[in-house]
Amino acid sequence: MAYTLKAWPEFKNYQNTCYRNYLFAPEGLRVMGSTWSVLAPLKGLGDDIYLLGGEPHAASLAGTLPEESRENILAAEGAGMGYHSCSYLKLFTGEVIRDKIGITDGTIKEGYPKPDLIWTTHLCNQHSKWYQEVSRRLGGVPFFPIDMIGGGNAEKDPKIVNYVSDQMEEGINWLQKVTGREFSDELFAKAVRNEIKVLVLWGNICALNRSVPAPLDERRLIALFPPAVVDRTTDECVRLYEMLFKEVKEMVRTGQSVAPDQRFRIVYFGIAHTYGHPEMARILRDVGAEIVASVYTFGTCGNFKGIVNGKWSWDPIDPAWVDNLDLSTRRKAVEELAKIVLGWPTWQGVRSWWALESMAHSMIDEFKADGLLLAPSRSCETDFRNGYVGLQRVFKGKIPTIEYDTDQVDVRQMDLPGAQRKTELFVHLMEAAKRRSA
Amino acid sequence: MAKKGSETIIERFRSITENPQGYAKSLHEKGKLVAGYMCTHVPEEILYAAGIVPVRILSSHVSQAMTRSYIHETYCSFSHDCAYQGLVGNYDFLDLITTSSSCIHMGEAFNVWVRFAGFEGKHYLISYPHIIETKPAASFMEQSYEEFRKFLEAFTKKPITDEDIEKAIKVYNHTRGLLKRLWQLLRRENPPITGTDAATATLASQFMDKQEFNKLLEKLLKELEAAQGKGAPGVRLMVSGGACDDMAALNLIEDLDQKVNLVFLDSCTAARYFWFEIPEGRADKLAAIAEGYISRIPCPTKDNVPGTGEKKRLRFVQQFIEEFKPEGVVFMYQRFCSPQPHDFMALKPILAKLGVPSTDLELDTTLPVNQFRTQLEAFLEILKPVVPLE
Repeated sequence: MAYTLKAWPEFKNYQNTCYRNYLFAPEGLRVMGSTWSVLAPLKGLGDDIYLLGGEPHAASLAGTLPEESRENILAAEGAGMGYHSCSYLKLFTGEVIRDKIGITDGTIKEGYPKPDLIWTTHLCNQHSKWYQEVSRRLGGVPFFPIDMIGGGNAEKDPKIVNYVSDQMEEGINWLQKVTGREFSDELFAKAVRNEIKVLVLWGNICALNRSVPAPLDERRLIALFPPAVVDRTTDECVRLYEMLFKEVKEMVRTGQSVAPDQRFRIVYFGIAHTYGHPEMARILRDVGAEIVASVYTFGTCGNFKGIVNGKWSWDPIDPAWVDNLDLSTRRKAVEELAKIVLGWPTWQGVRSWWALESMAHSMIDEFKADGLLLAPSRSCETDFRNGYVGLQRVFKGKIPTIEYDTDQVDVRQMDLPGAQRKTELFVHLMEAAKRRSA
Repeated sequence: MAKKGSETIIERFRSITENPQGYAKSLHEKGKLVAGYMCTHVPEEILYAAGIVPVRILSSHVSQAMTRSYIHETYCSFSHDCAYQGLVGNYDFLDLITTSSSCIHMGEAFNVWVRFAGFEGKHYLISYPHIIETKPAASFMEQSYEEFRKFLEAFTKKPITDEDIEKAIKVYNHTRGLLKRLWQLLRRENPPITGTDAATATLASQFMDKQEFNKLLEKLLKELEAAQGKGAPGVRLMVSGGACDDMAALNLIEDLDQKVNLVFLDSCTAARYFWFEIPEGRADKLAAIAEGYISRIPCPTKDNVPGTGEKKRLRFVQQFIEEFKPEGVVFMYQRFCSPQPHDFMALKPILAKLGVPSTDLELDTTLPVNQFRTQLEAFLEILKPVVPLE
């Protein structure tokens, strides 16, 4: 029987509360930017910092309010953004253009809440361009982008760690100047530890899916990582993930799963197109095929051991390691934060095809996959689009593999009947491979 | 009839831009080390100091389907075309392929060369900042250049001295100075050279050994600086965009029903390639190179001033409009390129304030000549002063 997660209502509530705070906070600071930003420096300014992360906001809005999302994307295209530009970006900017905002609890607020500042990253061609445009449209919001140069094994390259850390320190000085607030290193260190702890805990939870049956399916993985992306710096967020870790460990011990029929275990490389197309997941569900591992849900806000002896490992990091981190000076805290963020799996392949391939090889082996599902996202600039074309070439012949185009939130960009038919064929391929190996 | 010296030189440049691999191969056959580079953020000076001739990899404009199974179809045609050059072996003879971490699309073209076109054992990716207008970026660039220098020393099995780098800086600065002089000719009301020919010379400089190029361009300038423009002046247009290496597109602009003078080309294949200098005589050569490259007209993928989010490129474009006085701007960029249209959204209000109309042309592998011609001729109609009806 399918297991029902006890932790879920609290996760949903956390996400809604964060968004409501951004919309309705009577005081404090509203900050927007990529959710792929280091968040702890903002919390050095105080406890009244309300965050709006671009990617999770756009993704959740597409799931919650599809009609609004469509209108937002159209508004952005009408204003000059290309049909092919990042659909997260367009959906987000479309809200600014339409001067209204929607959130996960279904609220639609007229009058876009202008942020006090923008704090973000730059990684792909569009990443900080996104907020340059938002800042321009909102009359010039103070704006600080951090270049997360990325690449395979970047967290172990002192040159890159120093580069990102130096920018972060400059950013902290800028935050003080632009807000007029004093920066508390004590609050900062606490937020850094929380941020790292949540990332490590989520890695541990995902790694439990190596069990048979995998305790979580893709739908739950997608639903459970938003608190980590929305605001992972708080004590409450740490508590939620500790609670979830405990619950999922118990599921593994007792052999339970939210989707126990797992005849075929699938590794998935792509952004969650199921936001727009839940029917795709249903095709797999009906035949007992489950996505048990995906770089997007694992690696957007989760950390693992990464490259060990030249090969990627999805082994989790011991959460106790976080408790012993030396964060006694600002520089030490900044460097630990830079290292953990640079180690995110989703960034490894942006500049390093070899890291992307190593991650895929290890994920297939470690999670005992029967098939590899590649779903390049048409409007994403990173390896979520292109690296996967190369992966198909590499894995063809090794494991049943399919590739079809999707998009993160723009449902127009997907050939749904074609993708459905390919998915059905994928199931037959896995079935045939199983028969051959029996 | 014997051709004028200037025409012969321009023809030489044109023949090289039409067959760059042929030119590069001839260098290789003469025993020179030749490296391909895929982005203008590669510090060519360091390659040159190592005794290697850098040759830019650009499009061949061949309509093909081969690269679709290597690169996603929504990556720009320029990246597809550059990947194609590797896959069909046009540059098999190269000793090395290099790029810097810049545009993601071109990064994938580079990956295709490395993984699938036989360059796995002879490639180098220069780690390069994505936001260049910061202090940490300069320091990061210096460290990356030092790593590159060490790689090249091991590759060529000889040291690269500071003197070697200083010499290379001087050769390259000389090229930049000459190219600037060439484009300054287009500020004249009636220029002695077409914009397309100036762009052809600029493109040739990206394939050629700089010392050979400099000699030819010096000769050309000597003649042109004393020459007068032919016929009546035309409508002055400026092109702003991404990699515009399709000379047929520029030629089309200057071959419409009305006479047009293409007076400026803001592109990484033209002004953004040379409109800067590396400080000479500095003790720290690599720091000097970093300073020079940071001062360039920024590529839109890297243009973001922390604190304000300003795009510095917009200031340059404004400056060029004031100096070169175009009556209209043609935004010309690769289909599927996102940073360029983002810049243009911000540029359009600036152009509106300056009273300079603009139009957009999206480039692909091949050129839709008739569509572009119609669009450009309609644009020229807009630029004509409205004559009140009697």
